[in-house]
Amino acid sequence: MAKWRIQNVRMAGVSACVPENVVKTEDIDLMSPEEAEVFNNTVGIKKRHIAPDTVCASDMCQKAAEKLIEELGWDKGSIDVLIFESVTGDYKTPPTSCLLQDRLGLPDTTFCLDMPMGCCGCLYAITVGGNLISSGNVKRALLLIGDTALRMGSLKDKSRVPLFGDCGTAIALEFDESAPEIVVDFHTFGKGYEALMTPHGGFRHPATPESFVEEDFGNGIVRAPIHTLINGMNVFSFAISKPPKSVEQFLEVEGIDRNEDVDYFLIHQANKMIVDRVVKKLKLPSDKVPYNLEEYGNLGGASIPSLMVTRLRDQLTSSPQRLIMSSFGLGLSWATMSATFGPMIIPEIQTI
Amino acid sequence: MSNIEKYNNIFVEVFGVDPSLLNDDFSKDTVDLWDSVHQLNLVSLAEESFDIMLDPEDIMGFTSYGKGKEIVAAQGVDLEA
Repeated sequence: MAKWRIQNVRMAGVSACVPENVVKTEDIDLMSPEEAEVFNNTVGIKKRHIAPDTVCASDMCQKAAEKLIEELGWDKGSIDVLIFESVTGDYKTPPTSCLLQDRLGLPDTTFCLDMPMGCCGCLYAITVGGNLISSGNVKRALLLIGDTALRMGSLKDKSRVPLFGDCGTAIALEFDESAPEIVVDFHTFGKGYEALMTPHGGFRHPATPESFVEEDFGNGIVRAPIHTLINGMNVFSFAISKPPKSVEQFLEVEGIDRNEDVDYFLIHQANKMIVDRVVKKLKLPSDKVPYNLEEYGNLGGASIPSLMVTRLRDQLTSSPQRLIMSSFGLGLSWATMSATFGPMIIPEIQTI
Repeated sequence: MSNIEKYNNIFVEVFGVDPSLLNDDFSKDTVDLWDSVHQLNLVSLAEESFDIMLDPEDIMGFTSYGKGKEIVAAQGVDLEA
């Protein structure tokens, strides 16, 4: 059973960086004005920040990290671990975390690791980084989580283009014997992997000329095998069933009262229909469930840290907050985490 | 309200159909309006009406009035009650 109780780890800070360029749903030329209005009202994503082709996830993460390190007052030489969680790294090889070690000016003693885990990425990164610190061998970890997901797919795919925004985040973890326990459990349903995938471009199906041949699937979906696809019905049925069941079980096993013991529930901001369903099924108090998808879209692994920066900054910078976090995505994978974070450093959101 | 009335009301609400027209042949293949959005609405209302949580395969398999009854009954809901 993939469940951890992570001791002695404190979240010292979190930051985020988004591109300056904002795209409203009405600006997406794949949609008519009527379709855009329906999309805004149902899927709930009205705006998203989109990076130019010259800006990678690592650039946004780097800017978020520089600001966070500065406000924390951390000596860069004290950072032992650098994790880059993204499915949109700079190159196939080498690992982007190694490039970031140099670009951030971290010491050559830094342990660097890339993790391409998608929408559960934040909880994976906290789990891995937290466990490394909890072992007592290292004291500080920097987790960089971000993506430029729009560029993974076809720009003629109406089922995908309006969903995603670009963002890079940075989380600082450090050893602290007085830190409350972080509890997390993970689940995987590998059988469902085809629901979210990029068929060509890996070593199972290397990119060939046929990888770029577009096919019209109807309903405004035109894409080639090199593009990332979403099987909407499969993803939706997964997202509204497995994660809430796990949260329900988690709360019961841990003896957590959803109305009394929790300050906020941070749900991966996939889209409004999914988050609303999860909230309704779990009977969560709506004033404890912040949303930011209307302004940023689905940010993949950066979704949960972006909620901390954009919606809970005042609360998390001033006092401890008991959080239940639920994320779900690629794999298919899903995770539930309970943690009390704060007070911590949260710089104002950065732009690039 | 009996459970079967609750179940029928789900279809009435989603499709605006008269309950007398509901039978096991009322399905994705015979109802023009039955697309993925309507199917997800059916599932959502079924979960709320009977306070159950369905699995992905149930959600995907909820493709007719009859199959829906089997799925709901498998969750311990007595549709005769």
